[in-house]
Amino acid sequence: MGELGVDHFLFLSAALFIIGMMGVLTRRNLLIIFMCVELMTNAVNLSLVAFGWGLNSLDGQAFAVFIVAVAAAEAAVGLAIIMALSRRQRTVDVDALRSLRD
Amino acid sequence: MPWDVLIFYLIAAVCVLSAAGVVVARNPVHSAIFLVLCFVNIAATFVMMGAEFLAVVQVIVYTGAILVLVLFVLMLVNPDDLPEFHAARPVQRYVGLLLGAILLLEVGAAIVTRSVSGEQGTATPDNIAAVGGNTQALGRVLYSDYLLAFEVVSLVLLVGVVGAIVLALPERLGERPSVARRGSISLSHPRGVDAALPEGRPAGETLIPTRHSTSPTRASGAVATGNDREVSAGPTPTGVVRDLVMTRDADAFGHMGDKR
Repeated sequence: MGELGVDHFLFLSAALFIIGMMGVLTRRNLLIIFMCVELMTNAVNLSLVAFGWGLNSLDGQAFAVFIVAVAAAEAAVGLAIIMALSRRQRTVDVDALRSLRD
Repeated sequence: MPWDVLIFYLIAAVCVLSAAGVVVARNPVHSAIFLVLCFVNIAATFVMMGAEFLAVVQVIVYTGAILVLVLFVLMLVNPDDLPEFHAARPVQRYVGLLLGAILLLEVGAAIVTRSVSGEQGTATPDNIAAVGGNTQALGRVLYSDYLLAFEVVSLVLLVGVVGAIVLALPERLGERPSVARRGSISLSHPRGVDAALPEGRPAGETLIPTRHSTSPTRASGAVATGNDREVSAGPTPTGVVRDLVMTRDADAFGHMGDKR
C-alpha cells in the first residue's frame, strides 16, 4: 500500500508471466499457445519498463522497443508455420504433431 | 490510499482477469479478444510509468498488427483442425497449476526481499522534460547508444518477412490458389488487359498472341498468372505488346520483353 512503486508493476508482471506460462503448459491449441507466448513477452516488457522507471533510466524502454520489434518478426514467422502445419498436417493440436518424435 | 495506486489496482485487476480469460476461454477468438484487452491495459500501465511512446507502440504493434494477424490465421485454419477444449490434458493442467504457484511464490519472495536498488540513471523526469518528452528522449537513446542494435533489428524484420513468405507459400509453386485469382485482373491475359490497352481500344480485341501461336517454351515469368490461358511469349512478333507494356510499368512486365 501507500506509494506506487516498482514492486506493484513487478508483481503484475510476474502474474501475467505465470498465467501465460500456465497457458503454454495446459492448452493444446497451437494458436492459443502462441498467444500465451505473446503474453509472456509482454510481461517481460512490463518488468523492463518498471525497472527503468524505478532507476530513472531509459534503457529499459529501449530494450522493450527491441523486444516489440523482434516479437513482430516472431509473430509473422510463427503464424506462417502454423498455417503451413494446418495445410500439411490438417491439425494444430500439439499432441497430434509428433512426427519428429516417432 | 492515493489515486494512482487505486487506478493501478483497477488496471492490474482487469489485466490479470483478461489474461486468465486468454487461458481458459474455449473459443480461440475469445482468447484473442481477451488478449487485446490485456494488451491495452498493459499499455495503460506503460503510460503510468511515463513510457508514452512505448504505450502507443504497444497498441499499434500488438493489438493492431499481431492480434489481427492471429485472427487472420484463425480464420484461415480449418475449424475442424482445432483441438477440442474438453479434451484438455488433466495431468498437464495440475502440473501447470502447481508449477505456476511455485514460480509465483519464488518471484514474489524475490521481489519482496530484494535489497539492491541499483544505481540511479540520468533520465529523471526533469531531464526528460528538458529534451521535449519521452519520445524525444527515447529517440536520443535509440539513435546513439543502441544504433547498431537498431540496424540489426531492421535486418531481423527483413529476414522475418522473407521467412514468413517462404513458409506460407504453397508446397508446389504450380498449385497457385487459382480460385482466388479467377476474377482478378491479369495484365498478361489477352482478355484481362484493359488496363494495359491503349485508350479507345475495345478490351476484347486480342493484342497478345495466345496459345495457338506455336511456341514450345512458356514465358519464364508466366507463372504469375496461374491460369491455363497464359500468354506464351514465344518467338512471335510481340513488338506491339512490348512497346505498349513498357510505357506502363517496366518492372512488372520485364519478363515479357526478355524473349526477343
